[in-house]
Amino acid sequence: MLGAIFFAFQIYGDFSGYSDIALGTARLFGIDLLRNFAFPYFSRDIAEFWRRWHISLSSWFRDYLYIPLGGSKGGTLKKVRNTLIVFMVSGLWHGANWTFIIWGALNAVYFLPLLLLNKNRDHLETVAEGRALPTIKESFQILVTFGLTIFAWIFFRSENVPQALKYISGIFSTSSFSLPEFGIINEARGTIVMIFLFILIEWAGRRQQYGIADFGLNWKRPFRWAFYLTLIFLILMYLKTEETPFIYFQF
Amino acid sequence: MKRFIKKIILFILITLIAYPILVFIAGYFSIANALRLNVNYRKGSYGHMFTRVKEVNQIKGDADILFLGSSHAYRSFDPRNFPGKKTFNLGSSSQTPIQTNVLLKRYLDKIDPELVIYEVYPETLGADGVESSLDLIANDRNDLHSLRMSLDLNNIKTYNTLIYGTFADVLNLDKSFEEPLTKDSDTYIPGGYVESKLTNYKKGTTPKRNSWSLRDEQIQKFKENLLLLRKRKVKVVLVYAPIPGSLYNSYTNNDYVDSLMNSFGVPYYNFNEILSLEDSLDFLDADHLNQTGVDKFNSRLKEVLNL
Repeated sequence: MLGAIFFAFQIYGDFSGYSDIALGTARLFGIDLLRNFAFPYFSRDIAEFWRRWHISLSSWFRDYLYIPLGGSKGGTLKKVRNTLIVFMVSGLWHGANWTFIIWGALNAVYFLPLLLLNKNRDHLETVAEGRALPTIKESFQILVTFGLTIFAWIFFRSENVPQALKYISGIFSTSSFSLPEFGIINEARGTIVMIFLFILIEWAGRRQQYGIADFGLNWKRPFRWAFYLTLIFLILMYLKTEETPFIYFQF
Repeated sequence: MKRFIKKIILFILITLIAYPILVFIAGYFSIANALRLNVNYRKGSYGHMFTRVKEVNQIKGDADILFLGSSHAYRSFDPRNFPGKKTFNLGSSSQTPIQTNVLLKRYLDKIDPELVIYEVYPETLGADGVESSLDLIANDRNDLHSLRMSLDLNNIKTYNTLIYGTFADVLNLDKSFEEPLTKDSDTYIPGGYVESKLTNYKKGTTPKRNSWSLRDEQIQKFKENLLLLRKRKVKVVLVYAPIPGSLYNSYTNNDYVDSLMNSFGVPYYNFNEILSLEDSLDFLDADHLNQTGVDKFNSRLKEVLNL
């Protein structure tokens, strides 16, 4: 289970990180690119997740596939058909493998009830707007959406379908009722602490373009520069130096 | 815009001063290695490089033979097997041509050898060279050659360790450091050789089929090293020291390595083809010769090179 959760953060950090590098580099040349991620793991349903995850691809599929197919106009069957096509083609875009198609189909299955009940545009505003913490209902919604996303990521990450099924059966085996292996958790404590910090920073900055967009902007220059210097130091002291290509380079 | 550029330049200047200080503080005061993740400064690390450098600095007079290369060099050429010859072994762990270049520039004049036996293990031509650079930074003095090496490698771990190493040199932090001549199963033998007490290699699983993958920048540096030696009119011989047969045969492109080595215009000898050794009797681990293997290899080497 821990592996699947870690992968959710790995792929988010990987893809959102390199999108940010592109956005920042473009901004240095005075070009404002469309942002690609908007705190997707704080989404309260899958429709909101897809408005916040890989926005450039979702918008492209909406404009060049979903709408030309008829969009949500026409009967229910047509709506279901168009949604299924868009999600499955989106899966196929990632590679010619059944794992990606199942990943796309699963997301379609998550999305369709919202579309059919006309609830796919329920959550357009930022979660917990004007409040420091989400309500119990919002927390539950976020956790359920995150859980559904993780389940779909298992197919996305697996080499093939049998591997994905084996992984899932491992999660739901009797080990779910046994005591957690604290040794493994202990080994991963650094990662867990970093993820926790990451979530806190993302939550605090969820109304901004990105997590720390406005952080310290009003501080006096020495403090602001000290903060930037600390960031540079932390990155250069703790970044992994082994060559690890971006996951999304393959797509 | 002018104000922006001025501020950027000022910030860069402050960073250039403050960052090295922060790296040194983190490296010096961190209680755990994890807290100084990208500063890997280990005085007296694996391979006795500290003692080797200390010895090379005390060398007086010209040497007959200089051995260069990786752990296959400092574990395969025993000076006691070359009686009547003055030899020195400048091998170091995972030494790639980038580090060999630094060592040659620092010590070639001092050692002034007649013959260089350059051990060529293909893996070192495919390695990034970071591991060996850290060994060199921590166990030798740091100078402009170290900076050039770091720029060649362009790796943050090497940069940070060099920053720390420079502070350590300037502040003389390691003046009381002494490296024991015997560490675990290894004993340093004067002349740069490391003898191991281990005798038998218990073979594990058969290595997977693999192929050597070499880096252009390392091959380029290797050529530069040969040119440097040629300019100094030093005779050079390339030697591929024996590795266990199971490992050697697991590589599918040994012919490619041989043809590459033969293309440099200096004699090349692949002792994996010349000498027949037993994996379980002549090696101490999955890579290196034991003393029995070293003696057999050195004896054959002397025959082949007419030493």
